[in-house]
Amino acid sequence: MITQRVETEKYDYDVVKLFTIMSVVYGIVGFLIGVIIALELAFPELNGGIPYISFGRLRPLHTSAVIFAFGGSVLFATSYYVVQRTCKARLFSDFLSRLTFWGWNLVIVGAVVTYPLGLTQGKEYAETIWPIDILITVVWVAYFINFVGTLAKRKERHIYVANWFYLAFIITVAMLHIVNSLAIPVNLTDSYSIYPGVQDAMIQWWYGHNAVGFFLTAAFLGLMYYFVPKQAERPVYSYRLSIVHFWALAFLYIWAGPHHLHYTALPDWASTLGATFSIMLLLPSWGGMINGIMTLSGAWDKLRTDPILRFFIISLSFYGMSTFEGPMMSIKSVNALSHYTDWTVGHVHSGALGWVAMVSFGAIYHLVPKLWGTTTWSVRLINVHFWMATIGIVIYIVSMWISGVMQGLMWRAYDHYGNLTYSFAETVGAMHPYYAFRAVGGIIFLLGALLMAFNVIKTIGNKTVSTARVG
Amino acid sequence: MSDKSKVETTGHQWDDDEGYPLKEYNNPLPKWWLYTFYATIIWAFVYWFFYPTWPMVDDYTRGLLGWSMHKQLEEEMAEAQVQQKPFNDRLEQMSLTDITRDPQLQQYAISGGKAIFGDNCAPCHGSGGVGSLAGGFPVLVDDDWLISGTIEGIQETIKTGHTAMMPAHQKEFGGAFTPSQVDDLAAYVLSLSGREGDKEAQARGGVLFKGDAGCVGCHGDNGKGSAKDTSGGSPMEKTVGAPNLTDGIWLYGGDAAAVRLSIAKGRSGRMPAWSVGSEGLNRKLSPLDVKQVAVYVHSLGGGQ
Repeated sequence: MITQRVETEKYDYDVVKLFTIMSVVYGIVGFLIGVIIALELAFPELNGGIPYISFGRLRPLHTSAVIFAFGGSVLFATSYYVVQRTCKARLFSDFLSRLTFWGWNLVIVGAVVTYPLGLTQGKEYAETIWPIDILITVVWVAYFINFVGTLAKRKERHIYVANWFYLAFIITVAMLHIVNSLAIPVNLTDSYSIYPGVQDAMIQWWYGHNAVGFFLTAAFLGLMYYFVPKQAERPVYSYRLSIVHFWALAFLYIWAGPHHLHYTALPDWASTLGATFSIMLLLPSWGGMINGIMTLSGAWDKLRTDPILRFFIISLSFYGMSTFEGPMMSIKSVNALSHYTDWTVGHVHSGALGWVAMVSFGAIYHLVPKLWGTTTWSVRLINVHFWMATIGIVIYIVSMWISGVMQGLMWRAYDHYGNLTYSFAETVGAMHPYYAFRAVGGIIFLLGALLMAFNVIKTIGNKTVSTARVG
Repeated sequence: MSDKSKVETTGHQWDDDEGYPLKEYNNPLPKWWLYTFYATIIWAFVYWFFYPTWPMVDDYTRGLLGWSMHKQLEEEMAEAQVQQKPFNDRLEQMSLTDITRDPQLQQYAISGGKAIFGDNCAPCHGSGGVGSLAGGFPVLVDDDWLISGTIEGIQETIKTGHTAMMPAHQKEFGGAFTPSQVDDLAAYVLSLSGREGDKEAQARGGVLFKGDAGCVGCHGDNGKGSAKDTSGGSPMEKTVGAPNLTDGIWLYGGDAAAVRLSIAKGRSGRMPAWSVGSEGLNRKLSPLDVKQVAVYVHSLGGGQ
């Protein structure tokens, strides 16, 4: 307990605690909205004819809640924790730390108020209207200064690999957000993008794909590079690999966006170029998976007893799977089948639930006892959460794969006279059972997250216990 | 947990105050990883030679295959048209009756008509013409036709559409009758299909129906509507499209409240015109499309 007290003075753990708590809260909110809209898709009458809770308005709330509220809070919490501990330096500015916390939460409140009212700038994953966009920019610049300032005053000579990934994420997201959101406001809530027509689509998917690349991939790789070796108590497998795959990932990812716009008004050359860079991106993406999994090699026996490591190993497996699936789906002939279908939805969720959420759960379970100086309340409950999350994801992804491939095949099915076999309404009808299954998967995943919240609360309150209590 | 790796760590160490310190091995890049990475790069370069990829000053590299998405679409469409052209040529020339007498051609038209129907007509008439739960849209699989159930009649209805003109009868909705008179009319209309009710109200309603309310003008003296057997009453103009009130088939629901509402407020159901005007302007379906849909709808079960 004495070393703990010294550390709390040395490092700013308060802001890390705040973001950690909010990541649990926003995780549950985001998954809950996901379950609601999954049910609305399966049973459309559930929206009760109320516009504020219709699918079109709740869907951006779901994506923003899970990516920016949940994922963002996890990244703020872990990056602030990791940068302090690997630099042996307190965060650059307590004021900027608080500004990022309250500012980011204000952004989220803004989204929660505006989306159900139908106020959006109509850009996927960047729906927030221009005043909120400005607030995001302010918070992000504060985050950048705070992070770089901490690196600058570090007491370690070398900058640990996790921090490269976090820094790449902070810089790139700033660039993506500002460029994509450039718009001329016409009043307090409305604005027009400065890009016309297909150029707007191009910028949007440059943003959208690299939000995946740098927010959901690079940043969470940074998280992985700290928490996996720390939890496994093993050195990182290869420093060399981390350098090569970091730079290859950063260089190649930024080109890949146009593969979202195959067979659209975007010129052939642009989407083809994007697709070839997506293929080249496969191995750099896998570099992180290899480094993570090989770090665990030699500690496989720990998987039997440590459910936190199980979260990490399965997250890396889902990461490897979805970063393989992505480049495949960027190939024109595959994309012609997969585009606009549920296959895309399944792919995104194998990355978002399988990789991002699982690796985040592992990090949260590692962080909470460290931050509050307690021991984990129930390891067995972590294990139950692990299995619920895994089963939920598998049900979700398999439903969407089947539904998506079926949907794509039905859309392009012709009879022997060359006429379309199915009307659009028939394809929608065929998807119904898979939509219901998907919602079941989501509910199981949500219930697992509720167990985590309970365990986290009990762990925080577990102050008196000083020895590990298993089960 | 013996460490079998021969590779040393980089010698750097972080976060060593508490717990296991962060260290890094310096293993070489896995060979399979490196060579597969090179292979994807080579693949990309090869792809660039064959497909349009790099932007130039005022053009872009076209690629050796000369591929473009527009060309691919044109080729696939041309292929489909080659297959369909002989059928379409005959469809255009032949009369609807002749088409139904040629089983192969009829099958072709049904196949095309079904596809067109699914994306254009099914939203109101239901998949396969089984009607809509919301009501107000005619079922197409039975033999109860408002306007015409012959194949030519169906074609004409699809082409030019139809707007129903059941007027409102209750005063507050623009009609001429009191609520209790509307009650009487509803009682009479229900009695036409054998429903029980207040005999006196039915009698009063009958007088109105055949008299001041003018219902017989469209529904006929016997209430059998305009496209129905008119024996026992004056023959009606078929294209009026007034429903038969005696058959127990109801477009807007057959419960007393729904029937009363139809009389009180009127109904103006609208079948859009699908093939008037010029191509590209208001004309959703081509004459050939309409012909195929007519054959398809006529084949659903109730065609006359």
